[in-house]
Amino acid sequence: MSKPKLGIFSLTGCGGDQLQILNMEDQLLDLVSRFDIVDFQEGSSRKVDGDIDIAFVEGTVSTEHDLKKLKEIRARSNVLIALGNCAIEGCIQSMRNGETTLSERLKDVYGVEEGFFDAKLSKPITEYVDVEFSIPGCPVEKEETLRGITSLLHGDSPPYYSYPVCVECKLNEYPCVIVEEGKPCLGPLIRAGCNARCPSLGLDCIGCRGPVEGAENFAAEYQMLLDKGYTKQDIMNRLRVFCGELGDDFLGGGDDE
Amino acid sequence: MISSEVETMSKNITIDELTRVEGHGGIEISLKDGKIEDVKFNVFEGPRFFEHAIKSVYYEKIPDITRRICAICTASHSLASIGAIEHAFDVKVTPQTQALRDILIHGEMIESHALHVFMLALPDFLGFPDAIHMASKHLDAVKAALELKKTGNMIHTAMSGRDVHGMNDRVGGFSKIPTEKQLIEIKESLEAVKPTTELAVKLLAGFDLPAYNISENTLMAIDPGEQFGFLGDSILVSDQTVHPETDYEKLTNEKVVRHSYAKHSTYKGKPFMVGSLARVQLSNKKLEGTAASLYKEHKDKLQQRNTISNNLAQAIELVHSVDRARDVIEQLLADGLKQEALTEFEVYASRGINAVEAPRGLLYHDYTFNDDGTIMKSNIITPTAQNAANIEKDARIIAENLSGKPEAELVKALEIMARAYDPCISCSVHLVHL
Repeated sequence: MSKPKLGIFSLTGCGGDQLQILNMEDQLLDLVSRFDIVDFQEGSSRKVDGDIDIAFVEGTVSTEHDLKKLKEIRARSNVLIALGNCAIEGCIQSMRNGETTLSERLKDVYGVEEGFFDAKLSKPITEYVDVEFSIPGCPVEKEETLRGITSLLHGDSPPYYSYPVCVECKLNEYPCVIVEEGKPCLGPLIRAGCNARCPSLGLDCIGCRGPVEGAENFAAEYQMLLDKGYTKQDIMNRLRVFCGELGDDFLGGGDDE
Repeated sequence: MISSEVETMSKNITIDELTRVEGHGGIEISLKDGKIEDVKFNVFEGPRFFEHAIKSVYYEKIPDITRRICAICTASHSLASIGAIEHAFDVKVTPQTQALRDILIHGEMIESHALHVFMLALPDFLGFPDAIHMASKHLDAVKAALELKKTGNMIHTAMSGRDVHGMNDRVGGFSKIPTEKQLIEIKESLEAVKPTTELAVKLLAGFDLPAYNISENTLMAIDPGEQFGFLGDSILVSDQTVHPETDYEKLTNEKVVRHSYAKHSTYKGKPFMVGSLARVQLSNKKLEGTAASLYKEHKDKLQQRNTISNNLAQAIELVHSVDRARDVIEQLLADGLKQEALTEFEVYASRGINAVEAPRGLLYHDYTFNDDGTIMKSNIITPTAQNAANIEKDARIIAENLSGKPEAELVKALEIMARAYDPCISCSVHLVHL
């Protein structure tokens, strides 16, 4: 039986999710021997055209070039996996989408008008194409990604976490940084799977794995942080980094300051 | 991917997308009547507007955002960001914090240089498309390189909490102090991988440097103080001048160019180079031990005017960082680790500027804060953005020197040159001028 064809692609982002694949130092050689790697721009000069069995795509669509590339990858791929927070939620380059326009940003950062570059408002890939699976995180967890890849090799689905970080935090018996220290922890809203790494270091969860599916407690989290003295601006800045385009309709007219 | 469009009089030689580099960029050379009309290092990695995104964000959250500018230089961005905030609010840190930060930046050099030297650069010199195919003939070297890279990541994990975008290094210190056990494990691992760093030097010094790219080349790097290193407060330039880091705008003079989301930098009207070669050439007298003797042995292959010798300079730095990280750990273990809390301080309206050496060269973060500690404006200048104009300078020289040669030969030379800078294109695309 021929080896499955694997493509690892990146659009606009920090490159951290494909770096996590290269960071599997103990498994890398064994892992790559199970596949025919047809495209991995960061790691190899080899490129093979044609159908792809499994494609990983990291990054956001931030230029016309990104969008064209994404559509080509989708058309070639049997299974497409959104890898990381950029691809799933849009991450930092999308965090101001509800607040400022592309032309304001271009003027602010480059001092040029829209049309100077082929830039688009940054969006996650899930805005443009269907994906079969996603592996969350900023960056993705190595172990979860490895399990995802090996599951796919055996015809199974990658791991999926349907509960928030708080569950893992409690199972580890870490002190709650909200209750004990009043820190602005986003653990109640965020997908588990990191083994509550930030609380294990005495820090608040910053939300890098994105919101847990069906999270309905944004308003409660917001109100709790307001009660602890955080400003609306500060809370919204914290929520927006990894939670995609977040309007403020969930606030229900909560008091500011 | 390579393409060439021939018209009656003019011709374009284009590398659409460089491979085995971080991020998305290409090179385009326009010829007319056999003469070079234009050379462009195209950076089409999309813009990310970090300086825009962090406006109004409270200082404490800034490093968590800005370290995500780049995955492979995440610790450098962390430390540049934290340092700029500490300068703004006059935050003093303990000697133990300084030592742990020093270990962290050495870990980043080890992880990043191991990846670049063995997996991205060496395949060119040994004739393979990648390290995986290289492993079919050089399995032991590739395995050793992965162990070396892993040691760099062990340091990232112990100091910052994970391999990429760690969170444990904070303004004022470290949230959780690494354990003695972690430090001992890192020390043992550093001792085990030392021969691999020497192998990197031996392998790269074994190849003849190409001559097609030799040209005038200005170098710029941080002044590391008494010992060779990556942290400091002033900037050395190869014209023998020294500048405070706060003068970085005069050293970079950024401007927007249409073909690149990375702005271009010049010093006294000319492009310049940052990175390993700049550091090793400007501070070679501060190298010690094995790194110093390997530098002496191979200094004929470390040439200011030949940017491809940046690969060998990275290998020399690998030797240095492995030794230096071990020395700092031994000192910490001898002194005994202290459970120190983060330094406490007040916020006020202020500006802070900080330079650090990322694996690819000088990195600046400059923040201006409102009186409530939220950010009013910022400026971040990354090493690859500073190198972009120099890459174009080299591409022009190569195109001139190889004119008349087969196009494939020219394209290969351009790729080897660009790759030698170890460009980090993701980093380069959000330089701001507010």
